[in-house]
Amino acid sequence: MARKLLPLLLFSIAGCSQGSGPEADLQYIKQARSIGAEWALINEQASRGSLTPTYVAAMHRWLRDNLQTTSASLTQPESRYGQEIQALVAQPDDAAPGQLRAHVEQLKQIEDSLESA
Amino acid sequence: MNPLELTLGIMTAVGGFVDISELVFAAKAGSTFGYALIWVFAFSTVGIIVFSEMSGRVAAVAKQPVFNLMRHRLGLKLGLVTLAASMIANLITCAAEIGGVALVLNYLSGAPYLLMAVAMTAVFILSIWVLPFKWIERTYGLLGLFMIVFAAALVAIHPPWGKIAGGLIPQVPPGLSRKELLNFAYFAVAIISAVMFPYEVYFYSSGGIEEEWSLKDIMTNRVTAVLGMGLGSLLAIAILSNSAQQFGPANVDPAIPGTAALEAAIPFGKWGLILALLGMLFAIAGAAIETCMANAYSIAQFFGWAWGRHKKPWEAPRFTITWIVLLLLGLGIVLTGVDVMTLVEFAILFSILVLPLTYLPLLLLSGDRKYMGEQVNGPVTRILGWAYFAVITVAALAALPLYLLTSGGNG
Repeated sequence: MARKLLPLLLFSIAGCSQGSGPEADLQYIKQARSIGAEWALINEQASRGSLTPTYVAAMHRWLRDNLQTTSASLTQPESRYGQEIQALVAQPDDAAPGQLRAHVEQLKQIEDSLESA
Repeated sequence: MNPLELTLGIMTAVGGFVDISELVFAAKAGSTFGYALIWVFAFSTVGIIVFSEMSGRVAAVAKQPVFNLMRHRLGLKLGLVTLAASMIANLITCAAEIGGVALVLNYLSGAPYLLMAVAMTAVFILSIWVLPFKWIERTYGLLGLFMIVFAAALVAIHPPWGKIAGGLIPQVPPGLSRKELLNFAYFAVAIISAVMFPYEVYFYSSGGIEEEWSLKDIMTNRVTAVLGMGLGSLLAIAILSNSAQQFGPANVDPAIPGTAALEAAIPFGKWGLILALLGMLFAIAGAAIETCMANAYSIAQFFGWAWGRHKKPWEAPRFTITWIVLLLLGLGIVLTGVDVMTLVEFAILFSILVLPLTYLPLLLLSGDRKYMGEQVNGPVTRILGWAYFAVITVAALAALPLYLLTSGGNG
């Protein structure tokens, strides 16, 4: 009996964490916000000469790949947060930290409002 | 006591604590929950010290490595289940470490990630084949000490020491939503699993036998376990605290090891970055070798084959073939293109499921006067051992539901 119930329970739990809409996109919004913030931090440190060019190039590649994957995972890409993430993707590798942080702030506000809803 | 004797513990600890999963989980824990999870590191560190000391003492007195005990204490059927589960956990962990080393080399040199994974696997095979056990542990253990740059970075940024000390007190941050509470619980379970990875005990006890520990080494074992694991814990706490100070306020949730290296770059510039990356390279490489060797030790000990690096590779042929095949399997997993961090999450999950089965036979044997004589567990070790066993059993039961409910801590 337990052997039959356990997989059922696990699938039910897994099912609860899936879905569509802003609630389901929340984890991608968080990821995009974090990637954008990290990108800004890296560009800021790079402009101060604290990082090696090889490291910066490798991190930029990773950040861009993951931002694109995150953007493609959204269930509502036309939403406000979808557009913010698209705007981040469109930034050049050496974008100004302030510009990147502006998008991060927007995403953070959306994230906070979804979490408090 | 020869200070170099301590390198076994240092390598186990630095490789165990500050492997790829520890790097990412410590940094993520700090950015997400500030200093509130430091106590989980401290709590788990005492646990791994208790069980490492126990496994070293059993190796010195009963001359029995962990997997020998498992077969005798759990019986063939349950022993086989444990062997299979720990093999999967160690193999996934080994693959994650190989991927981690390749990533760090990519940050350092810009060379392609997959090419670096192949090259480093060849280096691992060569170094295990050529180097005596003592030199394997000294090379990776001591070079991994570049990681101390993370502790220096913490001092340099003048963190709020009072808050860090406050993090040592068991706590759940007030005002968390249900979702955040579940995330906090998932992080706590993941940290317990990452700190108490079973491979550390397999490697440590087998290493004690490789070094022919006897009764006269009981004190070396005790000091090694406490200092080695203690140092590893301090480094992990430094990474967490740096992250709480530098990443949390900047809205960064570190998701890859490259982010953690920024912690040293911010106060020390390029040299800080390079030292951090080198430390990560050797610590993760040490963990890759530990996981692979731990797996080969387990299999050889379970089936009663000749084993050990104190023998020439051709004197223990099945053991030698096993560790080579395991490294190649780990590389094969990386070459499929699976994300390293996905591997880390699965490694953590599988490991915690195996933990109770790893530590139960050890507790039973080290508490058995017939085997251990005068060196049987004292009252403090006995109470601590059973208390930690209860905690890891609860953590093992909670791990999978928490993983699903929080989407692996991303919920």
